Amino acid sequence: MTLLLDMVTTAAILFIVAGGLLAIFGVLKIINFAHGAWLTIGAYCAVATAGLGLNPWAALPIAFAVGAILGGVTELVIVRPLYRRPLDAILATWGLGIVIGQLITLWFGRDVQFTPNLLSGTVDVLGVSYSLYRLFAVAAALVIGLAFTFLLEGTRLGLSAQAVIMNEMLARALGIDTARVRLATFMVGTGLAALAGVLLTPLTSVDPNMGVAWLIGSFMLVMVAGSSFSTLAIACLVFGSAQVLVSTFVSPILGGITVAVLCALVLRISPKGFARA
Amino acid sequence: MPESRSIPPRAWLFAALILATALVLFIGPALFDRFTLNVLTRSMIYAMLAVTVDILWGYTGVLTFGQAAFFGTGAYASAMVLSHLGATPALLALALLLAIIVPVLLGALVGWLSFGHGSTPLYATVISLVVPIVVTQLVFSGGVWTGSSSGLVGYSGLPLGLSGYFRLTGICLILTTAIALVFTRSDAGKLLVAIRDNEARCAYLGLDPQRLKIVLTTILAGVAGIAGFLYANASGVVAPENTGFVFGTEIVIWTALGGRGTIIGPVMGAIGIDYLSAQLSGDLPFLWNLVVGALFVVMIILLPNGLAQLARMVLPRRDREQVSQAGSPALAAEPPGNGAESGNRVLSVSGLGKSFGSLQVLQGIDLEVRPGELVSLVGPNGAGKTTLMRCLSDGTEATTGSVSIAGQDIRGMTPDEIVALGVGRKFQVASVFDSLAVADCLRMARASRKAPSLLHRSLTLGLPEAAADILRSTGLDQMLGRPVSLLSHGQKQSLELAMVVALEPKLILLDEPTAGLTKVERTTIGATLQKLTGELGFAAILVEHDLDFVRDISTRIVVLHQGRLVLDGSVGDVVNSEVVRTIYSGGAHA
Repeated sequence: MTLLLDMVTTAAILFIVAGGLLAIFGVLKIINFAHGAWLTIGAYCAVATAGLGLNPWAALPIAFAVGAILGGVTELVIVRPLYRRPLDAILATWGLGIVIGQLITLWFGRDVQFTPNLLSGTVDVLGVSYSLYRLFAVAAALVIGLAFTFLLEGTRLGLSAQAVIMNEMLARALGIDTARVRLATFMVGTGLAALAGVLLTPLTSVDPNMGVAWLIGSFMLVMVAGSSFSTLAIACLVFGSAQVLVSTFVSPILGGITVAVLCALVLRISPKGFARA
Repeated sequence: MPESRSIPPRAWLFAALILATALVLFIGPALFDRFTLNVLTRSMIYAMLAVTVDILWGYTGVLTFGQAAFFGTGAYASAMVLSHLGATPALLALALLLAIIVPVLLGALVGWLSFGHGSTPLYATVISLVVPIVVTQLVFSGGVWTGSSSGLVGYSGLPLGLSGYFRLTGICLILTTAIALVFTRSDAGKLLVAIRDNEARCAYLGLDPQRLKIVLTTILAGVAGIAGFLYANASGVVAPENTGFVFGTEIVIWTALGGRGTIIGPVMGAIGIDYLSAQLSGDLPFLWNLVVGALFVVMIILLPNGLAQLARMVLPRRDREQVSQAGSPALAAEPPGNGAESGNRVLSVSGLGKSFGSLQVLQGIDLEVRPGELVSLVGPNGAGKTTLMRCLSDGTEATTGSVSIAGQDIRGMTPDEIVALGVGRKFQVASVFDSLAVADCLRMARASRKAPSLLHRSLTLGLPEAAADILRSTGLDQMLGRPVSLLSHGQKQSLELAMVVALEPKLILLDEPTAGLTKVERTTIGATLQKLTGELGFAAILVEHDLDFVRDISTRIVVLHQGRLVLDGSVGDVVNSEVVRTIYSGGAHA
């Protein structure tokens, strides 16, 4: 039972972390290698919120806003000139990640920070006591997934974004301001990443390089998922479960690379990943 | 004069640079303190890695973070032999051997994973990210064998002192750099740029770009392994960080800042940045990384070719122009290969069908082409003409029915294998190599017949007479040294045709070769095609919209309409037929 719960909650956490990256890759076909840095920014927003003595839950909207604003600046200054050079965009955003990591280090120091728990304690699920927060993560993942689906299917921005995904030239010819769609998408993606950073704080230690550990896993999941949130959810469930199983029965260290290796193999066999299904 | 021109001024520059480095290596140990010597030794090892990244990324266009993994495996292989077995001369040799073999095997595996038929450049980058992570985790889980997270330390290595390692590393770096310079400037080196520019064209010139990339990855993994061996010996410690993905990104940063595609730039970048990092990290550790990171971002956006580009802008342009003048090769005739045996079918298609999902684009196509025929394929837009051409030249397209070239079924064959059967394909939009000179493009077309030299840069250009004729009649023979990016649209079309003809194919597929050309250029191409088929025995299939042009040059016309072959006959039959008139005037639907 615990194993099953572990699988589901791990998948949920992966989904939360990878969501922001998928939003950007799906629409812009750009890989934001500063994604890890935005997770870190979000986590430090939680640290700062706690430092100001505010309610820990307040960190969620604050982080989203901070992440989105910084993301907007990034899109305008760094990403915009690089849409035609996707490999260079990977490098430039990676460089930006270094810069952000160092700025955070200069500001907060390189030590591990602690944040107050958003939810503590355990809850009984069918006779097994399980961490309440990990269960909350599942709910959070569902909310994010549904909110995003609504944003894509139910709003004007989402409709424009879909048009840009399918045929950017045509979208522009039809009078959609593609530059604005891109800016908005990038801001949503980075805001989501910062939000994910806050949600990660109870599960992991907060330090200036915490994001890098999460970057590769979410990057690989997004490569497999393509541009749809539902395939991302499937990918997270499949590979998250695999990770839990390998960690439990083989070795926790090998569990850490399960997602990356399996994703790479899936991509070798079917270059489009799960997107075809 | 020609004698003195054969050595361009840059060669002298490099020779001087190498001499100066050798001098530094010789007197360095007397000048520098221990710390500086240590750091410079390490920097020079890193510079070797930067050279390998530059060849892969700067020249071939494969962005890789994986060199760190090969370096790390080499270092660990050496350190494991030295700490668990000992450091006798025999074991040292074993360590070096393993430091090459293990990364080479890993490199071959990674290459096979990264470069399948139809895999994207992004996918190769993805794999190159995963490999260092996997290797690092394996090191962590290696227990006493790998020292886990604390790494291996306290083993003895080559019996060299501080200055000995400094000199050995320096010599290795000079060798690596010199070999890389010679190779990238040779005929074979141009192949890398050709792959970066236009991989599809490489495949349709009968080259196998994916296999070349696998070979390159494998060899460069070995070089990284040698660097790892040096590192394990010189530093006396190996740690998991040496294999990691973060280290892989650092190598790419040095390469980018120094200037990709220049070899010397990345060497300077690696040594400069690593040395400065070591000097400054004591005082301002975070600020220094901040500066490097910010500089990197700015460079990628504004100066994608690194500091070397800046240097090139500042330095006078005189010597570059001279090089391009001196580099203009002379045309030489090449004996013709096996001519087509007349009479036999070159192409035979039966029952060919192709669908995209539920959309049936081609169905029930039967077609035969014999040597010397110039078959024109006409039909309105969307009739399936280009799709048919693709099915004839790429056997991996999923189709029904069969296509055989010179009697051999092409199902499942990749484009380069079909080229080897004797098919040359000219694309609708001129597909050439923009960063190369005209002569280099033409050499690529010959590369599948005669392997290009790894060392030399040819001064002549050997072409079959038919290809040379095209150059002469279009004036391209006077522009052999000119970069392709400076050619006009029509000149690019002619160049591509010459490249295809230089393959000496039995069958040439031409997709609207005259689109967007002037009347004069059309006539030239028409005459060329007639000569190729009528006099030289090539067979050709021509997709064309201009019925007048088709009528003038074809021996046979085939009409394609809504995915079906509706007419196949002589010029007179087809041009005067009722069917063609109704199709083209849209009356068929009435």
